[in-house]
Amino acid sequence: MKNLLPRHYVFLGLFVLTALVMSLNIKLDVEVSENTKRLYGFIDSLPENSYLIVSFDHEASSIPEIKPIATALLKHAFSKGHKLIGLSLFSEGTLIGYRLMSEIGREYDRKYGQDYVYLGFKPQYIAAILSMGESIPKTFPKDYLGNKYSDIPILSGIENYDDVSAVLSIADGSLTTHWIEYAGMRYNIAVVAGVAAAMVTTYDPYLEAGQMHSMIGGLRGAAEYEKMLGYDGGGARAMLAQTTAHLYVILMIIIGNVIYFRNRKKGIS
Amino acid sequence: MLSILVLTSTNVSYFNVDKLPLFIVSLVTIAIVLYTTYHKKSRDKYQMRKIGGLGAIEDAIGRATEMARPVLFTPGWGGDIQRPTTIAALNFLSNIAAKTAQYDCQLIFPTHDPVIMTVAQEVIKESYINAGYPDRYKESDICYVSSTQFGYAAAVDGMVSRIKPASIFLLGTFEAESLILAETGNSIGAIQIAGTDSTIQLSFFIVACDFTLIGEELFAASGYLSGDRSIMASVRAQDILKIIIIVFLLVATILVTYQSFFEADLFGWWKF
Amino acid sequence: MTRKFALMTCFIFGLVMFVQYFSNHPTAKLLNQSILEYWQIIFAFTLIVGIAGFIMNSVRELREGESKIYKLASLGGLILMPLLAMIWGIKADTPFTWIFENVQVPLQATVFSLLAFFVASASFRGFRARSIPAGILLASAIIILISRSSIPGFQFDFLTDFANWLRSNPAMAARRGILIGIGLGSVTTSLRVILGIERTWLGGK
Repeated sequence: MKNLLPRHYVFLGLFVLTALVMSLNIKLDVEVSENTKRLYGFIDSLPENSYLIVSFDHEASSIPEIKPIATALLKHAFSKGHKLIGLSLFSEGTLIGYRLMSEIGREYDRKYGQDYVYLGFKPQYIAAILSMGESIPKTFPKDYLGNKYSDIPILSGIENYDDVSAVLSIADGSLTTHWIEYAGMRYNIAVVAGVAAAMVTTYDPYLEAGQMHSMIGGLRGAAEYEKMLGYDGGGARAMLAQTTAHLYVILMIIIGNVIYFRNRKKGIS
Repeated sequence: MLSILVLTSTNVSYFNVDKLPLFIVSLVTIAIVLYTTYHKKSRDKYQMRKIGGLGAIEDAIGRATEMARPVLFTPGWGGDIQRPTTIAALNFLSNIAAKTAQYDCQLIFPTHDPVIMTVAQEVIKESYINAGYPDRYKESDICYVSSTQFGYAAAVDGMVSRIKPASIFLLGTFEAESLILAETGNSIGAIQIAGTDSTIQLSFFIVACDFTLIGEELFAASGYLSGDRSIMASVRAQDILKIIIIVFLLVATILVTYQSFFEADLFGWWKF
Repeated sequence: MTRKFALMTCFIFGLVMFVQYFSNHPTAKLLNQSILEYWQIIFAFTLIVGIAGFIMNSVRELREGESKIYKLASLGGLILMPLLAMIWGIKADTPFTWIFENVQVPLQATVFSLLAFFVASASFRGFRARSIPAGILLASAIIILISRSSIPGFQFDFLTDFANWLRSNPAMAARRGILIGIGLGSVTTSLRVILGIERTWLGGK
């Protein structure tokens, strides 16, 4: 304990506090934001059987945050009867995306190959996004399970972005930017997203400029989406922990400033 | 090849007219870059202001030499070799490597991309040869660690904690790993110089690092450090383009404001 | 000679990719598609270079006795995972995916979660109201944090509106300015590379 620095106490405080509140089963109510309503409205207003590309653009590390977002969006898309084409531009997101799509597809009694398909992973994301704009079957000659593209009923007549209503990028980093810049701008396909909270402000300029249709961000976004869908999922459950962590950070800022001003008064820099 | 020959006989136009405005803008941009780079008079009289943080490079390497501890340079997880930011970061690397060669200070370069690793090996080797100390070059110090974001972050963090470099350069495209790396560097008391084109990560670097190059400063500084007049002159092209954009923004703002007041749709031409 | 060849290749492909962007002609599309396919193939080979380098470095450090336990763990993983993939495949419910889901996912999530701790310590250490602008920045951060929280019994409509205003006006204006600068820097750097003015990527001047 003697060797502990102030930094370590800050770490310890955050750990103890979040662990404590996570063990409590308290759900907080959230106000649904305009962004969430916009994305919900977009998926809701698409005609039944619309095709959506769902790209799992994340790694394994962000599962706790990304899973509630992806779950809410997939639930909505499946419930509206849209045809989903899953894929991943990160090797680590491949299996996670497949598992999630299959799990939620089963929940809504959707059939693989007819209502949804999973194309798997393609390396070099920029090349893959551009290549799909020219030809999806050439980019993914087989699906994740090894079936030939031409043998999959849901994919008959799907050649490129012209045959798809939108791209839904579920990302923990900046990969959605490439969907906007290379698929959205070049091939005129609508791009919507569910992203990690840390990335929300990165996409604000694209959202304001209309280059990206809409998005939800972080656990808060997931909680809002869950509220619109009428169920309590991972987003709603995590809101208390997130709120506590936010308040803790505010407290740290205040304590840091109190120390700073006290030291300044004493002439210590 | 045969399919290309067959396809040339179709009736689709070779030029997509919808992209004409973008084509014109691209040509103007290229013309400006070519003019500033190759017009001797314009090139020679161009002077660049000193960018804050560049002076600290020498101090950071000097400090590492005095403390007999290495310098660590990493270009972040977000970029690959085709990204201009990575190219700019390699210009920095070239300059830093020349100095570490001169001071006989160990330079460690962990990366997430095998291509960046190979190019960095060449860049550092060339710098060591040019500095006159090829024997001080150690290829194993330039290493690929992991392609996954947090695998890379954990590996670099581990290196920082174990090796305790005196100076750390975080220059390139960073994502969520930025604060993890910068805070670890801060915790061991290293001098940290950062620069990135990821706007969201800039705030983390500003809090945790000693010097931060913001966005285009990274490109300008890399041109400045290269010492090449042609590269420095192309930075001037950026300034000229920036002035054009500002004028365009002002005109567009005035037109939109006018339009909203008079509800006239006379000026829709600029909305391409 | 090698350098000249690389510069010529870069110039030709840079020009081709630029020109094809402005065409909808099937020839241009085919050319684009072919180049993109080759790009992906080349990338796969570059991984071999990285992994070979990683193995050589790890073995050398093992011999020299540096960071032994870490090197053993990483080399063990490097051998084990492809081996499992080759024997049982990488589809769902295989040993490969079991390790992925039960070892790699928690490990990576742990490193990611460090971010929260570092945000807390950085806020404690670095977020000081040293001047009026720093104070404004600090107040903005607190407003954004509160607006993204859901505190029971408190309605922060005005704060949420103000936070949204902060995000879509001052913050957005600053970010757009930075983004335009970055975009221009990227354009000029790319042109320098295509025209062969910038040669650092070839290992030197």
